[in-house]
Amino acid sequence: MVLPPLFLRTIEESGFSTWLRESESPFAFYFVLLFHTFGLALLVGANAVIDLRLLGIEPDIPLAPLKRLFGIMWLGFAISAASGVLLLIAYPTKALTNPVFYTKLTFIGFAVWVMTKLKSRVFNDSTLNEAAMIGRDRTLAKWSLVLWIGVMTAGRLLAYTYKYLTFPC
Amino acid sequence: MNLAYLHLVLNHFPIVGTVIGLGLFVVSFVGKNDDLKRASLMVLAAVALLALPTFFSGIAAQRAIGRDPAVSAVLIERHEGAAILALFFMEIAGALALVGLWQRHRVSTGKPGSWNLMAILLFSVVTAGLMARVGTTGGDIRHPEIRLAQEVTGTQESGLSAIVHVFEPSPGKFADLMLISKWWWAFMMDLHFIGLALLIGTVGILNLRMLGFAKQLPVAPLHRLTPWAMGAFGINTLTGILAFIGMPNYYTFNVAFWLKMLALLLLGLNVAAFYLTDAFHSVEHLGPGEDAPLLAKFLAATSLVLWFAVIALGRYIQPFTDTISVR
Repeated sequence: MVLPPLFLRTIEESGFSTWLRESESPFAFYFVLLFHTFGLALLVGANAVIDLRLLGIEPDIPLAPLKRLFGIMWLGFAISAASGVLLLIAYPTKALTNPVFYTKLTFIGFAVWVMTKLKSRVFNDSTLNEAAMIGRDRTLAKWSLVLWIGVMTAGRLLAYTYKYLTFPC
Repeated sequence: MNLAYLHLVLNHFPIVGTVIGLGLFVVSFVGKNDDLKRASLMVLAAVALLALPTFFSGIAAQRAIGRDPAVSAVLIERHEGAAILALFFMEIAGALALVGLWQRHRVSTGKPGSWNLMAILLFSVVTAGLMARVGTTGGDIRHPEIRLAQEVTGTQESGLSAIVHVFEPSPGKFADLMLISKWWWAFMMDLHFIGLALLIGTVGILNLRMLGFAKQLPVAPLHRLTPWAMGAFGINTLTGILAFIGMPNYYTFNVAFWLKMLALLLLGLNVAAFYLTDAFHSVEHLGPGEDAPLLAKFLAATSLVLWFAVIALGRYIQPFTDTISVR
């Protein structure tokens, strides 16, 4: 049997990882998972509103003030990333031996790239009028929705597709 | 108080409530009374929300009396099957009522759809009939004095109830169907999360605006995102009910699950308070830079807190398995 890399076991055997994984306290693993979900809600929820607006769902919402939503998105991203690292410390073998995990990271990479693209093209270019902004960026908004749904779906699948829960033997 | 008691307290509301809602709805046509119609739609929506904890507490009631030899498991199963069928019709009627309320609210931009009113009438009439059967089959469990003689152990039925019975799912088989594949379960949970994100996004931006965030946004177009929130809530109600039917014991004996239901009922009150007090009218036409009054801010803040509580309590269902015991 080909074993996963040994450093995964080293992480798992550390006191912090063990505590996160095995503690009965409601403030251990599930607390981290809770913040991962809060982060998701802020990040994807705020993205969804901007995407729906750019797709022309509610054209009476002025675009410029929506720029403030990017603060919420980055806050959500920070919470998700920090809690994600903790989840990774709790179950390193589970995540890093699962191709779905890398798929999720790839989706996140593209989704955040689209998010920054949206900000610079739609919200930072004061020379454009609103009609031009929207016409040009519907594609970005569509991709944003698709990619965030991909991120969430890959994240959900992590609970169902892993090969090892913890390091074998 | 225990969950079995909760079932006995709540179980009257969906039955009586549907009849009242339907009655007011019909009277509103006869009397051409629009306020009454609006009130009847609110009753139907509220009853659909209240039917959820009523249905979810049934398993606890079953557990509480299941060991009593005088209680027939067959009668309980028949009641549960009747309840599942009625619940789906009731939730559809409630969803249609919400759509109707939304259309009436937006009367300035379009005519409220008569298709919607016909659908509400159809679904609430069917629901009232099915609920009558849920009540009768439920009463049969503990009240031998009202049973027909042949029903004591079996489910031989005649006439209309025999026809209805054909369409009632067997609870065990329905549960197996939900658990048939882990991919189906994963798909339902995925939808539940996508619904969560859409709901928080669309409700959250309106609440944040009322609280003074991004004040340059006018309120009216943000409020028009409400159908997206309603759609997301519909997805999550459906996937939530299906998950419960799949693993009823997992959710029934779970503190986090019941607190989540409580938070959802409080959100129902929050929405009612928003539309039935001055709060909504005071923010409806707020333009860029204008401040919402205190009541609207209070309701916006409670809504945000409660929605995040719903997420938190949902997340804690897993570690809180078997935290409630019924005998």
